[in-house]
Amino acid sequence: MQIKERLQDRVFSLAASILILCIIMTFIFPTQFPTVENFSQLLLNLSIDTIVAVGMMILLISGMFDLSVGSIVAFSGGLAGYLMYYHDVNFLIAIVAGLSGSVLIGFVNGWLIAIAGINPMIQTLAMMGIVRGLALMLSGAGIQNFPYNFIYIGQSKLLGLQAPVWYMIFIVLMFSFLVNRTVFFRRYYFIGGNERAAKLSGIQVEKMKIWAFVISATLAGIAGILLSSRLGAALSTSGRGLELRVITAVILGGASLSGGFGKIFGALLGALFMALINNLLIIGRVSGYWQEIILGIVLIVAVGLDQWLIRKMEK
Amino acid sequence: MHKYILFVLSLFVLCCEPPPRYESSNYTTNLTKDKFVTTNEVSPTEEYVMITTAVNLPLYVSHDQKAFLQWGKKMGVRTSILGPSEWDVPGQIATIEQVIPGKPAGLLINGTDPGIASAIKKAVAAGIPTVVYDSEIPNSDRHSFIGSDWYEMGRLQGERMASLIGGKGKVACMGILGMENMEAGFKGLQDALKKFPSIEFIGKYDDKANVEIAARLTADLLAAHPDLAGIAGFDSNSGPGMALSVKEANKKGKVKLTTVDAEPEHLQLVKEGVISFLVGQKRELFTWLGAQFLYDMRHNTLPLSTNDARAGIVPIPRTVITGSIEIDLSNVDFFLQNAGKK
Amino acid sequence: MLRLRNISKYFTGVKALQNVTLHFEKGMIHALCGENGAGKSTLMNIIIGIHQPDEGVILWNEQPVEIKNVQTAQRLGISMVYQERSLVDSLSIAENIYPVQTPVVKGGLIDFPLLFRQTQQLLNELGLINLSPMTLVKKLSTAQKQMIEIAKAIAKTPSLLILDEPTASLTHSETEILFRILKNLKDKGVGIIYISHRMSELQNISDIISVLKDGKFISTIDSKTPAQEIVRLMVGRDLESVKKSSNVQMEVSLEVENIRGKGFRNISFKLHKGEILGFAGLQGSGRSAMARALFGDEKITGGKILKDGKILHLNHPSEALEHGIVYLPEDRKAEGLFLHSSISENIFSAQLKKGFYNAAIADDVSLKLCKLFSIRTTTVKQHLRKLSGGNQQKVVLAKWLAQEPEILIVNEPTHGVDIGSKEEIYQLLKYMTAEGKSILLISSELPELLFLSDRIAVMHEKEIIGILNREEATEERIAALASGIKTTKMYICK
Repeated sequence: MQIKERLQDRVFSLAASILILCIIMTFIFPTQFPTVENFSQLLLNLSIDTIVAVGMMILLISGMFDLSVGSIVAFSGGLAGYLMYYHDVNFLIAIVAGLSGSVLIGFVNGWLIAIAGINPMIQTLAMMGIVRGLALMLSGAGIQNFPYNFIYIGQSKLLGLQAPVWYMIFIVLMFSFLVNRTVFFRRYYFIGGNERAAKLSGIQVEKMKIWAFVISATLAGIAGILLSSRLGAALSTSGRGLELRVITAVILGGASLSGGFGKIFGALLGALFMALINNLLIIGRVSGYWQEIILGIVLIVAVGLDQWLIRKMEK
Repeated sequence: MHKYILFVLSLFVLCCEPPPRYESSNYTTNLTKDKFVTTNEVSPTEEYVMITTAVNLPLYVSHDQKAFLQWGKKMGVRTSILGPSEWDVPGQIATIEQVIPGKPAGLLINGTDPGIASAIKKAVAAGIPTVVYDSEIPNSDRHSFIGSDWYEMGRLQGERMASLIGGKGKVACMGILGMENMEAGFKGLQDALKKFPSIEFIGKYDDKANVEIAARLTADLLAAHPDLAGIAGFDSNSGPGMALSVKEANKKGKVKLTTVDAEPEHLQLVKEGVISFLVGQKRELFTWLGAQFLYDMRHNTLPLSTNDARAGIVPIPRTVITGSIEIDLSNVDFFLQNAGKK
Repeated sequence: MLRLRNISKYFTGVKALQNVTLHFEKGMIHALCGENGAGKSTLMNIIIGIHQPDEGVILWNEQPVEIKNVQTAQRLGISMVYQERSLVDSLSIAENIYPVQTPVVKGGLIDFPLLFRQTQQLLNELGLINLSPMTLVKKLSTAQKQMIEIAKAIAKTPSLLILDEPTASLTHSETEILFRILKNLKDKGVGIIYISHRMSELQNISDIISVLKDGKFISTIDSKTPAQEIVRLMVGRDLESVKKSSNVQMEVSLEVENIRGKGFRNISFKLHKGEILGFAGLQGSGRSAMARALFGDEKITGGKILKDGKILHLNHPSEALEHGIVYLPEDRKAEGLFLHSSISENIFSAQLKKGFYNAAIADDVSLKLCKLFSIRTTTVKQHLRKLSGGNQQKVVLAKWLAQEPEILIVNEPTHGVDIGSKEEIYQLLKYMTAEGKSILLISSELPELLFLSDRIAVMHEKEIIGILNREEATEERIAALASGIKTTKMYICK
């Protein structure tokens, strides 16, 4: 009963770990860590990853994942930037263009995986390369000097927190609600739990898979727009390594690689946990070499814990 | 019920703080606040932080970081080197933003991409002395920039190449296309070559800072232009890549190679005679002098007024060009010995 | 050669084998037959080393042995022919036949010329002269693959060869080849165990036949015994005349006209309201394929399905659901349940109506259904993997009932279910017919079919070979039809 609770309540155990970590860090770095400034920077840098993680969580619940999200982040910002800078396109239209491109990419991913039957890893891996190439073509060495209206979206502040944080909160709350309370989104748990039984329960598995990829790509597109708005620049290197960070965060947050588990709120907590560790490393002036090693260890521990708990449940 | 929600929402919106507009002047006449932090004592715990990407890149480690650490030891202050190990510019930005609240004594930032401008602005606005090195970042409000003059680096290569090939023949160049400093280098090269009407410049090519691509490009060029006289390289990996293909095509000495950077592999190739000329950067100066500027700003070493910080005066050079190092067979040994000691 | 004494084997809650004593001699083709679930496969798995007996002794050449694993069995000289499952598509015939003891050259590398020659020799000996050892297995037909499986088993030069339904995917000519091979082996002194349902084959090829039923050994008889007698031994039990009620109405709810598809053809029948139409047949007779097609899970390539007079085009289970047709799959773990989800989540997994999900209401409804179905559980939030097979099956039933269907297609509803839950499930099915619902019942348990069904359709080789009314249906008649035996006494109606 205890183990079951813990697995079901990864949200609970993760939240507790985060709290403990914060307390420890307050003791070790009393002047640097528990400040409004530090927290608001932390949340700001967390927001992009989390928005993408929400989409990734939905995919992992249904037993799939998407390696192309990092490239989509670069692409949507790049496309919007390209249109605004080289063609003087109105910022709203540029944003719509960036998002539409992302939706299209998601649809292609979904269609090829669900209908044509291509393995998700191979398909999204290939798409990762293709979209990154497109992003490079659009943003070249980088685009700056965006119109003020565009920058307003990513850089305005509300109650001291910069805009992307609010977008993140809104997206997390909205999807949390949808996944918990609508029949449509709950079906993803069934698809991930037993795809065959899901089909035989009357669930239109293929259609829903396509939707999942569209949602993931759209959220990545939104994240990309927010990122380039926030930076005031469209970088061609945006989002490199994002997909693995997000998958790590989502697994930390309770998803299982085999599907059927995970809560949206867990994605937020997973990303928060990783951001805290990152923050700890920076404040602690731990050299960059160690960052990679530590994040790798975190991933192994997360996945290992996931496997161990599953095996325990099966006994 | 609806009215109440509307009221709360409007309060919310009113709290909205728009981002600063660029049109407004950055030099305010606010005389009540210090623009940057100064102090009179030197504390051993005062910290100078270098933030870069690709923190493990050998070029950075053996030049920039080495000099920076030496400086810190000499001055008796703390130095830290932070940043992602990949070329992850958003990661560098996140690092800068998370270091700012800790208010270090000074920030030494590698100018990797114009996108980091907003983060640098935040640091400056927070009152931290900030120096950008290697490549200039426009619109960043940085207190100082110290780096090489890439136009000059291109010009030096052009002039040397012209004399190597006897003033006539076909010349190409390669580097990362689209990067501001390299484009300046390309221009310097082309302008220098223009003075020689018998030299034909056949084009600039993108090797994406990758040795294999540079090698393949060179092989393609050699095949397409059997009478190619010389190639100039502009990023660290151009040299080794070009040299590889030239050796494999048995054209050593027949096709003249010049390039940038003076790492052990480049020096070795000069010794072998495959590369004729290197234009090196004085990277150690970037960080040593850069750190020293930060120190001087913080400790009011050389005041230009009664209170520079309050008056809004930046008491360090705004832009420093370090000049380049020219290496060929005549002086390569001095550098090889040095490389061995590293 | 191989003597089994008092072998018993238990799986959780089920007695697969009880006190089975058998003797297999060299140079004899010894056939084994029995209904589905009689214990034949379990027994073979014990001989081949996959399972260990819980009780009893195995004697090899009168010496007691413990066959701990497949390697031990192989060392003794026991070899089994599988149903094409053990071949690797991407490798050649030769490599598949000799996965171990592949001929090697001095350095340890595979000696391909020798390998191919050896294989060709074997293929020639077996009379499979049309196949080349270098052909990749993926290019072979199912029948050819089966022949290679046989070759693979024989390549190990076994002393005891076991064949489990070897002719399931073979055509007539290949079966002839197989029988020739077996006769050859028999003459060489190899002992052969041959498992099959096909009476004609058994009588043709075997010397003696042993019958298993419900995990027990019944008797060994001469192969010349008439087929009817063999069938009676397989199925014969005390037939109680049970009071069977019927709720059949005149109205037809589903009419199927000559439909065909992958795995079934020429299927026609009428299903009435309140009727339970049973479907009997052997493994591979096409019942599941047909059932899935009626649910929209498989394509129908010809014929019509009519419901309430309207033609249905079912491309997806969701469409079948909209028309009130539901399907309870035979493998509930793989196809019907979400083991990591709770009871109420499972019950509502087939919910058609979109909109918001209210956990409180769902739990409430689930609780009521659990009471109705006598599903024993402390809470509806219980994960399904913790329930017994019987309770799990009832949850699946509850899931479909929550959608208020008109037609239920149930496939092996009491498979792996304890006696108590079985009775309860029978009650439930009867109750539904009283409400005017129609049931298409696929089952391999003849007593179950006889108890529940108003009519029984028997399928053989992918077609309906006959439909029996309640009065004329007996276990022997059904078993005979299922094996392909038609006599003039059969009343065949469509």
